Amino acid sequence: MSERGAEPALVVENLTTEFRIGGTWYPAVRGVGFALGRNETLALVGESGCGKSITALSIIGLVPRANGRVSSGRVLLDGRDLLALDEREMEKVRGNRISMIFQEPMTSLNPVLPVGFQVAEALRYHTDLSPSAARARALELLEHVKIPSAARRFGDYPHQFSGGMRQRVMIAVALACGPEVLLADEPTTALDVTIQAQVLALLAELKASDGMAMIFITHNLGVVASIADRVAVMYAGDIVELASVDELFANPTHPYTEALLRSIPRVDRDALDLRPIPGQVPPITAMPAGCRYADRCPLKIARCSVETPPLAPVPGLRGHHARCWVRTGDGAGAEAA
Amino acid sequence: MSAIATVPERGAWARLGTNMRRHKMASLGAGLVIAVALSAIFAPWLSPHDPYEQDVLLRLAGPSSDFPLGNDDFGRDILSRILWGGRVSLVVGTSAVLLAIMIGGVLGMLAGYIGGVFDRVVMGAMDVLLSFPALVMGLLVVAMLGPTVGNLILAITLTAIAPFARIARAPTLVVKERDFVEAGRALGFSNLRIMAVHILPNIIDEILVMASLWLATAIRTEASLSFIGLGVRPPTATWGGMIREGFENILDSPWLALFPSLAILVIMLGLNMLGDGLRDATDPRLRHE
Repeated sequence: MSERGAEPALVVENLTTEFRIGGTWYPAVRGVGFALGRNETLALVGESGCGKSITALSIIGLVPRANGRVSSGRVLLDGRDLLALDEREMEKVRGNRISMIFQEPMTSLNPVLPVGFQVAEALRYHTDLSPSAARARALELLEHVKIPSAARRFGDYPHQFSGGMRQRVMIAVALACGPEVLLADEPTTALDVTIQAQVLALLAELKASDGMAMIFITHNLGVVASIADRVAVMYAGDIVELASVDELFANPTHPYTEALLRSIPRVDRDALDLRPIPGQVPPITAMPAGCRYADRCPLKIARCSVETPPLAPVPGLRGHHARCWVRTGDGAGAEAA
Repeated sequence: MSAIATVPERGAWARLGTNMRRHKMASLGAGLVIAVALSAIFAPWLSPHDPYEQDVLLRLAGPSSDFPLGNDDFGRDILSRILWGGRVSLVVGTSAVLLAIMIGGVLGMLAGYIGGVFDRVVMGAMDVLLSFPALVMGLLVVAMLGPTVGNLILAITLTAIAPFARIARAPTLVVKERDFVEAGRALGFSNLRIMAVHILPNIIDEILVMASLWLATAIRTEASLSFIGLGVRPPTATWGGMIREGFENILDSPWLALFPSLAILVIMLGLNMLGDGLRDATDPRLRHE
């Protein structure tokens, strides 16, 4: 049984998701891979459009079919490849073993159905609970996510709740079936700062009590510091740096991570210290060869615009990986050879 | 957990009820419709006379205490015939509208939800159906298949499918892009469940408004077909048929055509007021929550 504890809850291998634009397929997520341990929170960080939400949608199998596809990779939940499941089997996994909460609590609940119904619905759909047992459990869940006087508010509609309370309801819905993995796609971005802190505290508490793994997508590094165990920094569809949260903040290795950290306003530093990253993320249809960050990178060497660097261990730092020819030392070694 | 026992499962209906009560027009319309419906349903008990009983002595007699609305060409009691005639109109109208909602509403939702080629094929077929005026479609079906209640229902259903498909498709297109549909998918709900439990309650308002307005149209079409002799065969009492019979004697005995016309007027007025009121009650811009 000790082996089981060490086994990761979710393994993503070489995940590539493409979108069709004007008849050509372009990768929005390129060969992303990571392992997520039980009771671990992995933060996916990056600018808008870097592929963090697409990674989550690929894991849960909700990449829009009309113009998107997962073209390679495996997503292993308890050793079973979710990408190989057909839609029917995947429906049994979604909301049951992997759940997702979204950015917009104001619109993610159905406005014409009472919140209690919406929590109970997931339970009744995935379990054999009787209607009354499902409602009793739904009420427990609403109390679990700390909705005040939950019994009285059970039959209320979403418009009668504030944004923070709605996000709590969404969390209750997502947790209804006790999932192993929770995908949280910027769950606090649309909330006030004070409410943000409450929801983050709630998520951390629930994770500890329910022992689930969480992928937390955000562009807010402050949130990362408070909730994550490990961090994957994404840039233009690649993971460019993967490290534990303490490591990442102590020893940012990839130049993009460094630049991200420098671009956070801080009270204890001079405003002049705040440096935006020059240039822009290359568009998906015009990705440069080699390292995708090369054009914006102050450390750029000739090799960067020719060969794509691998996500390699950073010398001297345990469990710390970065995708940079200059910083991983691999570049120097390869050049010497 | 007694608090939970009283939790309502659905809110769309309750909300509609609350809004309805605030709108007097709609309530008045609903009252008229219910009154006509009840009088048709209870015609066998309400009718003072047998609607088929002829009495030569009372031929074209005016209103009297025994026959409040007078007697027709065959001496039959007009009041009783109006009460019985309402049954044909309402059965044909409601059956046709219900069938049209089931077929057209489902087709429209599917077309909007699935999109792509399916959408284009279905809505193209609906455009073809729409190109037939209701009366022409009625003439065609009844002339080919015969004037029975079933064929009248079929004819009117055929003309009403396309409008219901359109009215169901448009809001489905909007609602399926809303975040809660994506959230439902992330919870593993099947497409069927998303459509039936999550999209339908969001579009039902518009379908109900359409239904009440189309019920009026269906009843009018049935009366029109009966008026030109393509309705249910005599001696069965129908409002349209009674007007036609009354037309022959309109100068001597105007009440023959007048009273069934008034019956049609009342039900049309009621249904249109109900429909308008429903539309106001369900219009988010006019809704006060």
